[in-house]
Amino acid sequence: MTPSATPTAVATLLPTTTVGSFPKPPYLLEARRKVARKQMAAADLQALERRATEDWIRRQEELDIDILVDGEMYRGDMVAFFADQMDGFEIAGLVRSYGNRYYPKPVVVKPVGRRGPLTVDWYNFAQGLTPRPVKGMLTGPYTIAEWSFNEYYPSRRELVMELARAIHDEAVDLERAGARYIQIDEPAIHTRPDEDFDLAVEAMEVVTRGLKSYTITHVCYGDVPKIYPAMLRLAVNQIDLALKNDDFALLETFRSPRFTKDIGLGVLDAHSHRAETPEEVVDGIRRTLDVIPAKQIQVSPDCGLKTRTIDETMAKLASMVEGTRRVRKELTA
Amino acid sequence: MKTTVVGSYPKIPDPPAPGRWRSSVEKLQRGEITREDLHRIEDEVTAEVLHEQADAGVDLLTDGQIRWDDGFTYFARGLAGFTINGLQRYFDTNVYYRQPVAAAEIAWRGPITVADYQFAASHSTRPVKPVVTGPFTLAVLSKDEFYGTLDQFVMALAASLNKELRALAAAGATVIQVDEPGLLTRRDQFPLFRRASEALWDGITATRALYTYFGHLDGLYPALLDLPVDVIGVDFVAGSRNWEILRRARFTKALGAGLLDSRNTRLESSDEIAAQCRKAAEIAPADTLVIGPSAGLEFLPRRVARRKLEALVSGVRLANGGAA
Repeated sequence: MTPSATPTAVATLLPTTTVGSFPKPPYLLEARRKVARKQMAAADLQALERRATEDWIRRQEELDIDILVDGEMYRGDMVAFFADQMDGFEIAGLVRSYGNRYYPKPVVVKPVGRRGPLTVDWYNFAQGLTPRPVKGMLTGPYTIAEWSFNEYYPSRRELVMELARAIHDEAVDLERAGARYIQIDEPAIHTRPDEDFDLAVEAMEVVTRGLKSYTITHVCYGDVPKIYPAMLRLAVNQIDLALKNDDFALLETFRSPRFTKDIGLGVLDAHSHRAETPEEVVDGIRRTLDVIPAKQIQVSPDCGLKTRTIDETMAKLASMVEGTRRVRKELTA
Repeated sequence: MKTTVVGSYPKIPDPPAPGRWRSSVEKLQRGEITREDLHRIEDEVTAEVLHEQADAGVDLLTDGQIRWDDGFTYFARGLAGFTINGLQRYFDTNVYYRQPVAAAEIAWRGPITVADYQFAASHSTRPVKPVVTGPFTLAVLSKDEFYGTLDQFVMALAASLNKELRALAAAGATVIQVDEPGLLTRRDQFPLFRRASEALWDGITATRALYTYFGHLDGLYPALLDLPVDVIGVDFVAGSRNWEILRRARFTKALGAGLLDSRNTRLESSDEIAAQCRKAAEIAPADTLVIGPSAGLEFLPRRVARRKLEALVSGVRLANGGAA
């Protein structure tokens, strides 16, 4: 699978995209709290989620981003969203990840499996709002397993592989619905690089087997050099990574051996309040071009932006698009 | 056999009970309350988790590390010489910490944990041990932009944290715990670890407890027995191989046996714990055993942590020959 042989629905050099999540507007946060307290019906919440999704599609169009996401207005958490809809899971309770960030951690209590499509309705809704491509967004089997408690399966391997089969079925459904880009988020993939990386590779092969769509995996935090170059074995077209938060230090790792996949180049720190300037984005892309050819690069933030405010998000993304535009101009001049 | 905890405790209760600490941090960020207001909430939550541990029947408590964002920035912010960087994964967990960066000479500016210890000790009906992140782990999880060698960085931290331990002992701490899970990721550095331990514990007459967790001690045991400490904490869950490794030499310290899985919700039965206690008693004399969870309990929801402690206490009671 060479990068040049992959489907490129967007002809632009250095296409811009985002990692998946955007901040929820205050009215949606309030509505979610009301539903949790049973003061609002789920159907009313869904109407607001659709409104917020449409707003984000419009904002991405205004910003002139090339490959869109639905913004995940309907998700509380990237693992719980899947666990809630699948067989075999319960929610154990809230667990802290850092600062005052908590997530509802699922627990596997029975065999896991898909009851039906998990993300296709939201994909169809979002894609119906725009002529630009919208990515299908999945959480990968290794991450779902790693970020759940496991009280049922005797080993992590059995749980991961069962989840891989379920997420594969979901990816096939997304492709049938028309998704040209399918992203499988695996932020936990390097949790146990020595012990488990082969398992993660095997699971990704199952997830993407037979797909014709352009496939992406998003990996963030943790020790990326530890899974390099092994991560180039992942059965995807693109690996999306956080470069900005460590000032592009990873580029040194990617000099040798060569980065053979496409890269989703994180040029915005998703966890700082400050908006990067277009010049910083230009600088980041230029430094990358020294290591990875332009035709292998898509430009994106480091991570999902859901913990930022809407204003911070817009300011950051505007710089990303402007900085990318400047580099494109240099390259085509 | 006595019971203890390893360190952290969930800061917020299970819904629908309001997570006061969490909402207070949000209010502070929005400028609706002051830092002093947040400290008062943290005091209240600390008192609450001390009561919860005591109610469960645990013998030797911690303050639950309610005030800690993580075990690294809490000390890095207290010492001179550090700045704080972006988020990093904490070992093989789904917990993150902001990475400290040594940007200048590290120095102890004054007590970091002493007021916390005093507050906990005066609000607890049972003995409390302060916990300090060890110099080795602090160094390997930080970034060094000043010292140039791990050796110099670790030894500078050991000298600074020795002052912290002395201050804790002067404040009345009779047991002091130092956490060094980082040792298990850099086994080749044991000679440095040993020198750092000597500097760290120099002049400390309180009971010296060294806790390791998240793995096994292969390659470190029995060398660990030469360290100037009184208690060694061992994780028998993530490090299930420790059952076999610790039989390779006579265990000459008190054993802090981490038997309860602090990273999975599956609830151990009292019988299961009692059986493991008996197994631990084959490694070290029963009257030197301190039984606890495998690591801090903040990996679990509050309700599960509480139930696990209750199971722990009744399991140890069974092993001690009493009724569960």
